[in-house]
Amino acid sequence: MTLTQTERARLSEFARIMLPGGSGMAGADDLRLWNDPVDRVLAVEPALIEPMRRILATLGCVETLNDIETVARTDPEGFKALATVLANAYFMHEKVRAEIGYPGQEARDSSLGLSEADIALIDKVRSAFVTWRRSC
Amino acid sequence: MAGTYSDVVIVGAGPSGAVAALELARAGMSVTVLEQGGWVAADEFDGARPEWELTQLRKWHPNPNVRGRPEDYPIDAAKSDINPLMFAGVGGAALIYGAHWVRFMPSDFRVRTLDGVADDWPFTYEDLAPFYEYVEEAMAVSGLSGNPAYPDGAPCPLPPLPMGRVGRKAAHGMNKLGWHWWPGSNAIPSRAWRGLQPCVLRGTCGTGCSDGAKATPDRTHWPEALKLGVRLVTGARVGEVTTDAQGRASGAVWTDRGGVRHHARGDVVILCANGIGTPRLLLMSGLGNRSGLVGRRLMMHPYAGVMGIFDEDLESWVGPAGQILVSMQFYETDVSRGFVRGAKWNCMPAGGPQSFRAGYTGGTLTEGWGAALHESVRRKFGRSFEWGIIGEDLPDSENRIVLSSSLSDSDGLPAPEIHYRMSDNTHRMLAFHTARAVEAMEAAGAIATEVTPLIRDCGWHLMGTAVMGTDRERSVVDPFGQVHDVPNLFVMDGATFPTSSGMNPTATIMAVAARSVLHLIETRSDLSPA
Ligand SMILES: Cc1cc2nc3c(=O)[nH]c(=O)nc-3n(C[C@H](O)[C@H](O)[C@H](O)COP(=O)(O)OP(=O)(O)OC[C@H]3O[C@@H](n4cnc5c(N)ncnc54)[C@H](O)[C@@H]3O)c2cc1C
Ligand code: SF4
Repeated sequence: MTLTQTERARLSEFARIMLPGGSGMAGADDLRLWNDPVDRVLAVEPALIEPMRRILATLGCVETLNDIETVARTDPEGFKALATVLANAYFMHEKVRAEIGYPGQEARDSSLGLSEADIALIDKVRSAFVTWRRSC
Repeated sequence: MAGTYSDVVIVGAGPSGAVAALELARAGMSVTVLEQGGWVAADEFDGARPEWELTQLRKWHPNPNVRGRPEDYPIDAAKSDINPLMFAGVGGAALIYGAHWVRFMPSDFRVRTLDGVADDWPFTYEDLAPFYEYVEEAMAVSGLSGNPAYPDGAPCPLPPLPMGRVGRKAAHGMNKLGWHWWPGSNAIPSRAWRGLQPCVLRGTCGTGCSDGAKATPDRTHWPEALKLGVRLVTGARVGEVTTDAQGRASGAVWTDRGGVRHHARGDVVILCANGIGTPRLLLMSGLGNRSGLVGRRLMMHPYAGVMGIFDEDLESWVGPAGQILVSMQFYETDVSRGFVRGAKWNCMPAGGPQSFRAGYTGGTLTEGWGAALHESVRRKFGRSFEWGIIGEDLPDSENRIVLSSSLSDSDGLPAPEIHYRMSDNTHRMLAFHTARAVEAMEAAGAIATEVTPLIRDCGWHLMGTAVMGTDRERSVVDPFGQVHDVPNLFVMDGATFPTSSGMNPTATIMAVAARSVLHLIETRSDLSPA
């Protein structure tokens, strides 16, 4: 089940306002977020389509976050779905991840254990504490 | 109704059921385990996939009402301050647990004697210590032995996981204040260990480990148990513990996913269905409730968090998640603080970028979108971490589960309905602790802090609803989990806990289960009908 062109156009209105870009991060417009990136999210979570559609079917132009707040209040669940779709489409995007320096939940070596600097920090605790209390 | 027989029937294949089944099988007994959930393979978890943060919103959500799988039972939590959380599967809730591994403190077993509240346990820390050691080997606990908060240093079989930038930052702050902290101990192997892979610090422990590292019973216990002949039936929802004409347990009636009912008969029945599932079963079966305490004294550990934001990159999405550090600085009672008992702190990474967007923190629906979202992510992402606070929840008989008259599971069995209010003691405790955690963050150099006074989705730890004790009028089971009224029926999960401590409970749940089941094995000849 995919979005219609009309729905995508409506979604783009929300996306441009909610994710305008800034602070060194791309905006929804740069990423054409309402196309492939959104489809990628809906492929994983198709249950989000229906509630999001309810919001996209609302009438009236949305030009500011205040306009969106008004629409959102009419259907908080629908808005939650739309927000989830946009946020995930955005943060799953490779360009955005690169911009915020997020490699994803990557694999690293856990066997490195504690460094000498860590041990020095721990030694301070070792010498300072006996916090447990006798149980009898 | 189709029937089978084995020496012992166990309900629940989580950590407690796994300990019980494996020991019984090692002792040569025949065991049937009934588990409503199924197996979950490591590659089903999304930790290594970009959609990890998306699928935790439903598919891997810890609240069964949100997940809504047929094997979950729904929970009516409208009359509760906290949502109970769990997972149905081989491995139980451990499949999605954080694997924070901590023993209770000696004082936790002596709350009445030391602080004049609640009840003492019928055994001591020292009694349980050998069982802790035993289960810690099986659960690949990584950590640094010698924690001065414990009389014996809480030894760990595997070396600790790295502290990372987050841990070092938090530790500096604590040292500046002269407060106790210690590298976190986790049921996550820092080296390959028996059937487990070494942890790769992916940091997605709370939504399942896709790398086969985190110690969960499906990897640590069930393979050997199955080899020894344990019959583990998945998709098996138990609706009733049956009894014979003498009032002794005779087995359990369960329904398969096709709706067909079966009777698993056994000489002994052990409930390991957790602090909600076990009293639910006892109530549905009308058993063990002479004291009127079945389902009562529910404890769930109210949880608060303080986020510190720093002006440097801490890579705070790197795992484990898992606890990087712990602190027991304010764990013990100091009545001058205005409350009794205390809380454990755990230092945690902040996770992926989604945790910083609107919708997670309340406020208006669109708050935190637009330019504010970009600024917030730039300022906080990778640059923040949390001191989480697990407050000791004291038992209150009004905090309870009852059977719902209006909500049922996919087999038509009544859902549990939760009545739970946080006590004034806990409110004061969390207020004190969050204020101290803000100080700890500031000492570490935080440029801003954000306090979450109570997280509603925090009912990770389910305890107290079939309390153990020696007085049959004031407890449901004896100190080895034997139901007072039904001698061949046992409870071996957190439902038996007289108090909750301020610690994550799985270490103690597994240690107490080991103690109980080994005692059952030793004394099994006494269980035969007279
Ligand atoms: C998100 C999350 C994070 C957590 N993090 C930590 C942590 O970091 N450290 C820690 O110590 N603890 C943690 N916990 C708690 C920990 O998971 C539990 O303490 C532990 O799993 C309890 O083990 P158990 O076997 O007693 O119960 P469970 O693990 O709940 O297992 C009970 C099993 O019984 C089955 N069952 C229930 N009723 C029926 C029925 N009627 N018929 C058939 N089967 C049934 C269930 O499906 C389940 O698989 C966490 C829990 C959650 C949910
Ligand atoms: S941090 Fe380690 S245990 Fe946790 S999910 Fe990653 S690999 Fe698994």
